Amino acid sequence: MAVQLDGGGKEDLKTQFVTREGTYKLMTLSEYSRPNRVGYTNSQGSTSVRVSFVTLPDPADPTGTQGLGDRMCFNFGKELYVYVYRGVKKFENMFQAVDLNKPVDKKLYKGTNPTCHNFNQTTATVESAPLLVGFSTGQIQLIDPIKKELSKLYNEERLIDKSKVTCIKWVPGSSNLFLVSHSSGQLYLYNEELLCGTTPPHYQPFKSGDGYAIHTCKTKSTRNPLYRWVIGAEGCCINEFAFSPCGSNLAVVSQDGFLRVFHYDTMELVGSARSYFGGFLCVCWSPDGRYVVVGGEDDLVTIWSFHEKRVVARGQGHHSWVSVVAFDPYTTSYGDHDPDFSGSDDETMPHNNHNHFHEKPCRLSNASQGIHSNRNSCGSELRVSGGTCYRLGSVSQDTQLCLWDITEDVLRQPVNPKQRASTAGSGSFSSSGTFTSGNGATTNHHANNAKHNNTNNVNLKESASANNESSNNSTSTNAAVSTVNSLTQRLVGIGFGERKGDNHKRNFSLTMRASGTSNNGPVQNSSAEKSGINANATNSNSVGGSLGANKKAGSAMDDPMRLIGTAWCPRFDECPVLEPLVCKKLAHERLTELVFREDCFVTACQDGYVYTWARPGHMINVLCDALADARNRGCRPEFSHVHRRTDPSLLAVTPLVAHCQSTVTVSRMV
Amino acid sequence: MIFYCQSVCTICKMGANISQLERDIGSDQFPPNEHYFGLVNFGNTCYSNSVLQALYFCRPFREKVLEYKARNKRTKETLLTCLADLFYSIATQKKKVGSIAPKKFIARLRKEKEEFDNYMQQDAHEFLNFLINHINEIILAERSQSKPAGKGGSGDAGSPPEPTWVHEIFQGILTSETRCLNCETVSSKDEDFFDLQVDVDQNTSITHCLKCFSNTETLCSDNKFKCDHCSSYQEAQKRMRVKKLPMILALHLKRFKYVEQYNRHIKVSHRVVFPLELRLFNTSLFQSDDAVNPDRLYDLVAVVIHCGSGPNRGHYISIVKSHGFWLLFDDDMVDKIDASTIEDFYGLTSDIQKSSETGYILFYQSRDCS
Repeated sequence: MAVQLDGGGKEDLKTQFVTREGTYKLMTLSEYSRPNRVGYTNSQGSTSVRVSFVTLPDPADPTGTQGLGDRMCFNFGKELYVYVYRGVKKFENMFQAVDLNKPVDKKLYKGTNPTCHNFNQTTATVESAPLLVGFSTGQIQLIDPIKKELSKLYNEERLIDKSKVTCIKWVPGSSNLFLVSHSSGQLYLYNEELLCGTTPPHYQPFKSGDGYAIHTCKTKSTRNPLYRWVIGAEGCCINEFAFSPCGSNLAVVSQDGFLRVFHYDTMELVGSARSYFGGFLCVCWSPDGRYVVVGGEDDLVTIWSFHEKRVVARGQGHHSWVSVVAFDPYTTSYGDHDPDFSGSDDETMPHNNHNHFHEKPCRLSNASQGIHSNRNSCGSELRVSGGTCYRLGSVSQDTQLCLWDITEDVLRQPVNPKQRASTAGSGSFSSSGTFTSGNGATTNHHANNAKHNNTNNVNLKESASANNESSNNSTSTNAAVSTVNSLTQRLVGIGFGERKGDNHKRNFSLTMRASGTSNNGPVQNSSAEKSGINANATNSNSVGGSLGANKKAGSAMDDPMRLIGTAWCPRFDECPVLEPLVCKKLAHERLTELVFREDCFVTACQDGYVYTWARPGHMINVLCDALADARNRGCRPEFSHVHRRTDPSLLAVTPLVAHCQSTVTVSRMV
Repeated sequence: MIFYCQSVCTICKMGANISQLERDIGSDQFPPNEHYFGLVNFGNTCYSNSVLQALYFCRPFREKVLEYKARNKRTKETLLTCLADLFYSIATQKKKVGSIAPKKFIARLRKEKEEFDNYMQQDAHEFLNFLINHINEIILAERSQSKPAGKGGSGDAGSPPEPTWVHEIFQGILTSETRCLNCETVSSKDEDFFDLQVDVDQNTSITHCLKCFSNTETLCSDNKFKCDHCSSYQEAQKRMRVKKLPMILALHLKRFKYVEQYNRHIKVSHRVVFPLELRLFNTSLFQSDDAVNPDRLYDLVAVVIHCGSGPNRGHYISIVKSHGFWLLFDDDMVDKIDASTIEDFYGLTSDIQKSSETGYILFYQSRDCS
């Protein structure tokens, strides 16, 4: 094993990658960073680079096709930059590089670092774009990078809060209210028109609930802050917050590992979740407001259902802490989801499995419906039709981007103690998803089956063949089998007593899929399986118990040991585990930002680079037009001609055709 | 020259830095019955100081050592009695902060183990490993001595010895499962461990490193597996899983790697983040026979940090959590630090960065035992 001392091959950085919708490409000429960078700057321990956008309504360009109305702000170290953002839009010179020496605005702060910022999209005009900036020392500044003269400071004397500003956002639709979170664990509502006063604010209790309290300022004249929210244990850093798309709910994630969702106007806590371990670092809402996704120090992406108030799935794929999660509203499809992707690039091949996996729940329910209804009344709970397919993106300190396709079927797996069997089924297909990953997982799977049978050599052959069969089979039957088996297991398991000191018990270290498959002949189970099953059954019982205890929230809230195995924090095997559709290393430094836009997505990296990734079809709009033109004219498209019109370094001829086709297909589907 | 000052500084001293600590914590906030004492360096003994401080703040361990001290008044000097005396001495200081010289302990250590009998920089993990095993052996030896003479021989008669408190605190069990690729037979073997040694990758988390630790490994070419069933060496696949979680999970980040090219060990300063709270993914689930909770939630209680660019130079310090706040022990100096500074010890993302202060041994304590 070679030792990599350089921090991991520089060569394996991606400049493009393929998903089922096509190829995403790095716009090398649309790269933003601090101008005149010199060599290496120490990024150690410095604040994360975040990016904010605003689209200015331009009367001269009402559709925004010229893209002159977009402004981008990013922070790096002590600096803050605002540029015209061109994204992937075409200009006279096609992919015109941004002149980094001509920012719209640029600020250098002394003794403090900007940590977060937010434009007010509601009040933005051609001449004005109010921008809030929060600082590592607690202050807040309101500037207007276009109008320039505006500069207001809040918490200037740090009388309100001395700790770092962790997140700042305008209240949706408001021209003057904004919300600021601090690492002290407090969240303040400010009105930009009000003063902060010259004395520390005196608070009076306004409202309190489970794990939070809200105060108002006790003064005659209204002053800032209007409200103070104290969330979680004392001094427990609020890492991020996000308003729901409708603006009525507020999701807050903290270092104490909690997601708390409030109804913003009534200030009621409407739901919460707990990380598997460690703090939650980032949060976002699905475009339809039905799900909240959080990422954290458990390296997981956790999906929480707003309606069911429970963790419905977890995504495992990152190798380090998840720094940003964001839904891609432009790739999220509603209604029946057709998995007919034709990604032909070799890069897609390993990921076919994942797509199959995501399809599986749908087929699983079809295939197992009959059996389920025979065995268990919960069969009707399984949905037959495919629902919404959400596209989620996440970036992490592992320098990777993960894209996830999440179908509603997966998210709707019922979790109810009485319907444990179907939950076990969901567990088994999800772990099968886990097994389709790289790292020699397939062989791993083989190993597991064999391991189960090490006491029984007759069974061994059978299991091996069963295993082959199932891997050749369509995944649907396989999943169905495992579902049934988990159910069988559970029923069988009840009949077995404790097998003390059984040497094979430890072999049940595998995921459920493995057990399900090797279990094709449930009657001739090896003792190893029986003991495993027994443990499984015990496990499900304890879940039932703890779920029942869910009703009385309150006291359990503080203690993660009591939350494990509940709707707040299911055990790892109790909840579907998703695999990313793609997982790509995009940078050498940890990634700190991810923003999905209509024609591209934007990532930022700790070293101060902001990258634009063109969506499939968008960068080659011109080319597709050319192709269409050519077809209309009844002649073969001239690739060389096309080629000449674009940056040859960005496009190759062969993939071009495929992308155009896929673009067409997609649009037809939609 | 170092021996000269040894005799002097056994008495605690109140440096400017020390009283600053009390001020930082605040007299009303200062935990009762807690003492924060630095340990004097006797010439490159920071490897020992850092580990001793970390162990002192592993509460179950400290309590057992103090208990041992209380129970064993007059016995012959061992490394354990020296350790117990040192811990007792810290725990019974009149002052709340100061520094103390672990003179007797170091002298005993140098007698016990040749490798430590010099003024060279030693590996903190080797020391920890030696110390834990050695203490365990002392306890086992004392136990067999105290048993009636008639039963003297029965100790070696097969049945595994009853676990000592060292086992109870640090011991976990790993299961390695090996599958012969020829006959598909799977054999598994349990191994006890006092700490887990994990490889480090750039820009990863300790969680990921632990997962990699459980990754399937193929045994081939020179490293074939002797299959009992085939009665020959065969290619095989092997993976490790944690079967029993210890009360205190010590994780050793393998930051010193031998590089053939340079013919020496090189420090790997990769950035590996470690959360304040941890659960393990690579446990073998559903262990009904062991009274072990696979949901065990661990809290980070101490970190031994290596500072410097190579294995043979540099310095060891430790950070510990005590009563809700974090302290940094740098030999005889103790400072209160903000939890946010822990991120300075994750490691480096680039070779160009100079100072390398990296987490080297992590001590996670199970929440259900605190």
